[in-house]
Amino acid sequence: MKKNNINVEDISDPSIQMAVIEPENLMPLPYPYDTPDAQPPLKKLTDDQKERYESDLDGFLALKLPKPETKEEEDRLVGQFLEGLKKLLSRENNWTFLMPLMMSLEYCAKCQTCNDACPVYIASGKEEIYRPTYRAEVLRRIVNKYLKRGGRTFAKFTGNEIDLNWKTVARLAELSYRCTLCRRCAQTCPIGVDNGLINHELRKIFSQEMGIAAEELHEKGSVLQLKTGSSTGMNKPAFMDIIEFLEEEIEEKTGKKIKIPIDKKGADILLIHNAGEFLSWPENPSAFAIIFEEAGINWTLSSEIAGYDAVNYGVWYDDAQLARVAVQHAKIAKNLGVKKIVVGECGHAHKALIVVADRVLNGDLNIPRESCLPILEDIVVNEKIKLDPQKNNFPVTLHDPCNIVRLMGIVEPQRKILRKIAPLFREMSPHGVQNYCCGGGGGFAIMPSLNIPDWRSAVSGRMKFKQILDAFQDEIDPNIRKMICAPCSNCKGAIRDLLDYYDAWEKTGIAYTGLVDLIVNAMVDIDGPFIEWPDEM
Amino acid sequence: MCSISWVQILSYVTFVICVVGIASKVIKIYGLPIHLRWELYPIPHEKDFRYGGSYLEEVDWWKKPRKKNFLNFVKFLFIEILFVRVLYHNNRKMWYLSFPLHFGLYLVIVWLGLLFLAAVLLALGLSTEHVLILFLQGIATVLGVVGFILAAVGCVGLIIRRATAKQLQGYSAPIDYFNLVFILTVVASGFFVWLGDSRFLTIREYLTSLITFSYAGPLGSAITLHIILFSLFAIYLPFTHMSHAFMKFFLWDKVLFEDEPNLKGGSVESRVTTVLNYKQTWSAPHMHAGGTWSETASKGVDNEEK
Repeated sequence: MKKNNINVEDISDPSIQMAVIEPENLMPLPYPYDTPDAQPPLKKLTDDQKERYESDLDGFLALKLPKPETKEEEDRLVGQFLEGLKKLLSRENNWTFLMPLMMSLEYCAKCQTCNDACPVYIASGKEEIYRPTYRAEVLRRIVNKYLKRGGRTFAKFTGNEIDLNWKTVARLAELSYRCTLCRRCAQTCPIGVDNGLINHELRKIFSQEMGIAAEELHEKGSVLQLKTGSSTGMNKPAFMDIIEFLEEEIEEKTGKKIKIPIDKKGADILLIHNAGEFLSWPENPSAFAIIFEEAGINWTLSSEIAGYDAVNYGVWYDDAQLARVAVQHAKIAKNLGVKKIVVGECGHAHKALIVVADRVLNGDLNIPRESCLPILEDIVVNEKIKLDPQKNNFPVTLHDPCNIVRLMGIVEPQRKILRKIAPLFREMSPHGVQNYCCGGGGGFAIMPSLNIPDWRSAVSGRMKFKQILDAFQDEIDPNIRKMICAPCSNCKGAIRDLLDYYDAWEKTGIAYTGLVDLIVNAMVDIDGPFIEWPDEM
Repeated sequence: MCSISWVQILSYVTFVICVVGIASKVIKIYGLPIHLRWELYPIPHEKDFRYGGSYLEEVDWWKKPRKKNFLNFVKFLFIEILFVRVLYHNNRKMWYLSFPLHFGLYLVIVWLGLLFLAAVLLALGLSTEHVLILFLQGIATVLGVVGFILAAVGCVGLIIRRATAKQLQGYSAPIDYFNLVFILTVVASGFFVWLGDSRFLTIREYLTSLITFSYAGPLGSAITLHIILFSLFAIYLPFTHMSHAFMKFFLWDKVLFEDEPNLKGGSVESRVTTVLNYKQTWSAPHMHAGGTWSETASKGVDNEEK
């Protein structure tokens, strides 16, 4: 049963469905999606799935938490959660984020200012449980009531009324996977409280203490990456085959004979791509190879385990996995003797390796690391390759990946490039550090299970889709080809799924690509176009 | 007769508890271990604060001298703390109430500071008719009255808003109303002192007595009530979430604006070495509880469980 006017305490109530997401209640979209029949339906769970998994949060499943069979099992899981929470607030177990967490838990004034900054909350039609403050408040109350002295006695007066039962824990777990970790909320907080961080820490309790994480992030993500070499499952021989394929494709498409350097000792740069690029968008690593060779850069790729996959899913849910992948990347760079690691077009890999893991990689593992964007800016703006912007003579807008822009402050290099190579470039609104997430942040881009892809396209990516439509509203005619430039692999995947979900190519003529793809497309000494539009594939 | 009154003793105790309370909070923050970087742009000390840019926009950023614009940081803090600019831009309805409350309280602090300064000067021998004393007294009176009124307006407004705005009701506890009512009684009692003493001379004389450790003399009921309420509030404040008023500095400085890179041989490096040697006891199988974080990070390829 769906209850109206959901309160914080309701998270413990086993008799209710906390939210029901229906297309007609979502934030309206602009033309041509401004009518009810233009809204794609949302996939519902089957009765069997509802029977097996904890699904009464909002009817979507990111975690597929099985229902405990006995009360004893429920109590054991609740006990584990509480134990994890204690560790989360302890110095030795959580030095990684203790200070930010403690301050964010302690000083929230509950003014709700952050709510309007959250694309999930707004796009959902202001669903109560998606408020950035909702899950933070649940956690705060559990801490105050169950872990602080006198917490239970004064719970009502201090506003810490909550029951910690299995429903609370199960729903909190699922709810921690309804935030894209874009951290727009923290930007608008007058105190500096970071509800995105609280969500991140919540995921850590489940992963690090209870062994509960989204399968695509853990078993099929960071674990697989450290075991086989890539979260895609691609092993070294497969990688080498793909490199050979790329070299052939480059020659066929551009006439350029390029030998992609692999495991080159003493190269200046170790370039690490999101391995998803090799499989889904091989033109992206090809474009990097063309640009770097043309600019005379001494670079290499790696064929070592995780060396050809920059992803680091640990940044979304688990500090140990974050550290392990980062250490592996650094070890490879150290063994190759490169001067620096450059991260390709992958936002979360940027943030994980360059910034978050900065305080994990000490001593000889502290290899300098930087984004690919400043180097590309240097190549393009200083005309180290010859470019003809007229080859990109179609409307282009830029998506700002949260991890690269808001969370790293890399804002202008990509714009300087686009101003140079795309004469019809226009900004989304808002953009730069105030951008909206693609909807795939926090791991959603790589979570294809059950009905989460529908939730991503209809809810978490809705604001981005609105932004895209608004940016091209003056030329929305599907006969006018338009391009979204998304310099991030996961954003690109989320945008690809958004465009598919809304049938956007057919209805609006909007396609997507990466930044290097547009650069190569503008290169003078390449005859044909490098990018391919959906109707040419 | 006792040389000082119980009200004066309360004031001294208040001062000590308030200072110790605030200091312990600050010391606690400084005592916490270094954390992983979690900065959020725009960061005011970065040279491209205008659009939210950072030093990571440069090729080989680690080879270049770190440029931090301290002035911009101070300017940001000054405007933010004084005018709550982020709230102004993101939640105007709340700002109309929150700003008067906070600004009013800041004026009350300045009022107290100016009266304290006048009391110090008097204790040092200046005459009550000295131009400096008259000046301080005049400014303090204006600021104090305006501060009391603004803070009271803010309190009443916020009480009404918390009780009536749907998005605030479910998140407002009895203690939130209690805090606002508490502040209201403090500033209202201050206002009543002014109604009976239009230049706050009694407050100044009371402060002089505190400085000189001399008997304050018989105090009227209005001033006594104000001193008691003010003292209780000052004792209470550091131990509540209302301390965000000053603790928010650390949320910015130590978390959101903390983008100090870990350079070889730098101060960050040694602090990181310390925390990497902490032992972790997380229970999930892949965590391999009992090892140091350094060991945990190294258990990568070969030791991962299926």
